[in-house]
Amino acid sequence: MVRLVFLGKFGPLAPAALACAEPPAAVATVGDLRDWVADQAPALGAALAATPFKLIVNHAVVHDLTAVLRASDEIAFMPPMSGG
Amino acid sequence: MEVRIASTTFDPQAETAAFAAGRSEMGALASFVGLCRDRHDGQVVEELFLDHYPGFTQDEIGRICNDIAGRFGCPDILVIHRVGRIMPGEAIVLVAALSQHRNGAFEAVRMLMDYLKTDAPLWKRETGPDGVRWIEPRAEDLARRAGAEGAIV
Repeated sequence: MVRLVFLGKFGPLAPAALACAEPPAAVATVGDLRDWVADQAPALGAALAATPFKLIVNHAVVHDLTAVLRASDEIAFMPPMSGG
Repeated sequence: MEVRIASTTFDPQAETAAFAAGRSEMGALASFVGLCRDRHDGQVVEELFLDHYPGFTQDEIGRICNDIAGRFGCPDILVIHRVGRIMPGEAIVLVAALSQHRNGAFEAVRMLMDYLKTDAPLWKRETGPDGVRWIEPRAEDLARRAGAEGAIV
């Protein structure tokens, strides 16, 4: 079970069920998760494909998409920040 | 050093007075209050919504505060930033800095506001007569992030 956070414009596009998700066993890395999430909701997948975004794992930016997912990880999908 | 994420209105003057109270060793207090406007890029804004990432947003702003405090010799900085639903005329942000001399306080507030306006982990959505729109970073913001001298990253 991983916790997923969709920030900014991704938020309204993400089904509520994705907040606590149980991806299949084949989803082993952060990159796998990104691709799996995109397949779960077409509108969200389209927004992710069209927007440069960062992945934040347990409040730290992750650049290595081969990083292994752990149960209880919190992964945030972060679109470009607009500031306050 | 205090960074507060506020989901309700706050009183900038009262907060600034409380921040500076009893700090008689400081010779300078500079502050800035950002207000929600009712127009943006020529379009009417009926309501602003600021999304944030609880914990992460506060930590990131705090990290930048510490960096700026060190650069300008400001022993204390206060940031209060609204999130959630904000109406035109309401205060969105208060930045206040204490220092022994004026230049440190002025520069700390200016640089912190530059950061908060463009690079803080916040996502802005405006509602107007034509509906809702998420605000994307401007081209000049992206160019500056890409490596302008003095940029905070």
